[in-house]
Amino acid sequence: MLHELPLVVFTVFAQMSVGSFVVLGLIHIVGFRVPPKVMDRVSDPALFAIGPLLVLGLAASTLHLGTPLRAANALRHLQSSWLSREILVGILFAGLGAAFSFCQWRKWLTPRLRQGLAVTTAVTGLVLVFFISRVYSLRTVPAWDTWHTAIRFYSTTFLLGFLAVGVALVVTQGIRTRRGDDDPQASRLIVSSLRGIAVGSILVLGVKFVGMPSYLGGLATSGEGAAHQSLETVAGTYGGFSLTQTILVFAGVAVLGIFLAQLSRRAVSARALGVVAGSAFVLVLAGEVIGRMLFYASMVRVGM
Amino acid sequence: MPTFKQIGFYVDQSNCTGCKACQIACKDKHDNPVGVSWRRVAEYTGGSNETDTADGSFRTNVFTYYTSMACNHCADPICVEVCPSTAMHKGENGIVSVDPDICIGCRYCEMACPYSAPQFDAAKGVMTKCDFCADFLAEGRDPACVASCPSRVLDYGEIDDLRAKYGTESGIEPLPDPSITRPNLVITPHRDAQGSGHGTGAVANPEEI
Repeated sequence: MLHELPLVVFTVFAQMSVGSFVVLGLIHIVGFRVPPKVMDRVSDPALFAIGPLLVLGLAASTLHLGTPLRAANALRHLQSSWLSREILVGILFAGLGAAFSFCQWRKWLTPRLRQGLAVTTAVTGLVLVFFISRVYSLRTVPAWDTWHTAIRFYSTTFLLGFLAVGVALVVTQGIRTRRGDDDPQASRLIVSSLRGIAVGSILVLGVKFVGMPSYLGGLATSGEGAAHQSLETVAGTYGGFSLTQTILVFAGVAVLGIFLAQLSRRAVSARALGVVAGSAFVLVLAGEVIGRMLFYASMVRVGM
Repeated sequence: MPTFKQIGFYVDQSNCTGCKACQIACKDKHDNPVGVSWRRVAEYTGGSNETDTADGSFRTNVFTYYTSMACNHCADPICVEVCPSTAMHKGENGIVSVDPDICIGCRYCEMACPYSAPQFDAAKGVMTKCDFCADFLAEGRDPACVASCPSRVLDYGEIDDLRAKYGTESGIEPLPDPSITRPNLVITPHRDAQGSGHGTGAVANPEEI
């Protein structure tokens, strides 16, 4: 299960970057009444953390090349190769994200123009996730060539995006509190953001666990022998891993659910926020990485 | 030097003994390392021994047949389609080959090809595959695999001529449905051959493929 590790890291990190960027955008949209100063103060550190994440993912992807120094050649076949298109859009997303972060940091351009740049970046990111799903929709691999590949990648994008942003917000707040730099307005924004993140994650989990059984059912009833072998791999050979990944993702989102219930009764301490955001993220990240390793392990081609 | 609009292979499965001389001749000609075999021979096996409950006698319907397979230089080559670098290309005589100076070794063609034709050479860091012995063809010689076959079950030539002479069959297990990549291949099926997608057996030597 380990030989595609560079691609596991690349796809998971790229999707988490896109998700985080989009989720930060959603926080800005939903919190349009919050004073811009407070909003930027809360969300900027999270924004600046996305860049290194994406660069790490892109760097990991070159590790699986036989001749990494020629990586630029991967852009030569945009006419027909989804892999070429994926790399191009990946670089575009990284470039736009970097440009936006820089403008946001130096407060360049008008807020309106920066908003436009952010929306363009977010849309490019969502297109990137679609292109990654097309790369794996090979007509010779029945277990990958389904609508579920896109569902799977988008659910990873949003789930990890929500939770990574949650951690970033809480960590930033924690550091500021320790410095004696408390801001009640910012704290309120973070708690309401976490509430939204919890609700959003539960929704994505719902999509995931409606999609999965119908996908596995599709493999079982497929006319292709290769699809049956893929099913045997994820349900039989690696059945334990499949179960583990399901439990981890469920447990991560359950932590958020408990937090929501607590929050409806009384205020939650800063320490508790840290535990909630941190453990939810770690559990779901572990589950998603195992899930992605299983995705690669399920690759069985038609023919010989 | 003979030229072709589209060159193709012919395999007479009904007379193949599975000796793998073609595989070794290919490996020798191209000096390929262990783990890189441009031509491979799949052994497809199935059936079982059964007891007839009426009279207690044994019946057997076991079968095995061999399919010698390199690259089919497809009319719709999925390796060329998915290659991000354009290293994989369809060139002279309709031969699909890799440009080793462009290939980045991403192995995406290896994932896609349903005949396992493109193979990664770890020492070179790039993909390699059957080039139809283009250098031999240029000298007017037969490809190494065809020349080596003691049973004379391999042939090659202009695909239209091969089809006129031997028919149009190419969808035999364990090969994929030919509509996927439109291989330039003609097979004379073994008497026990099963059509692609309707197989009841399995490849008995997967480690060699």
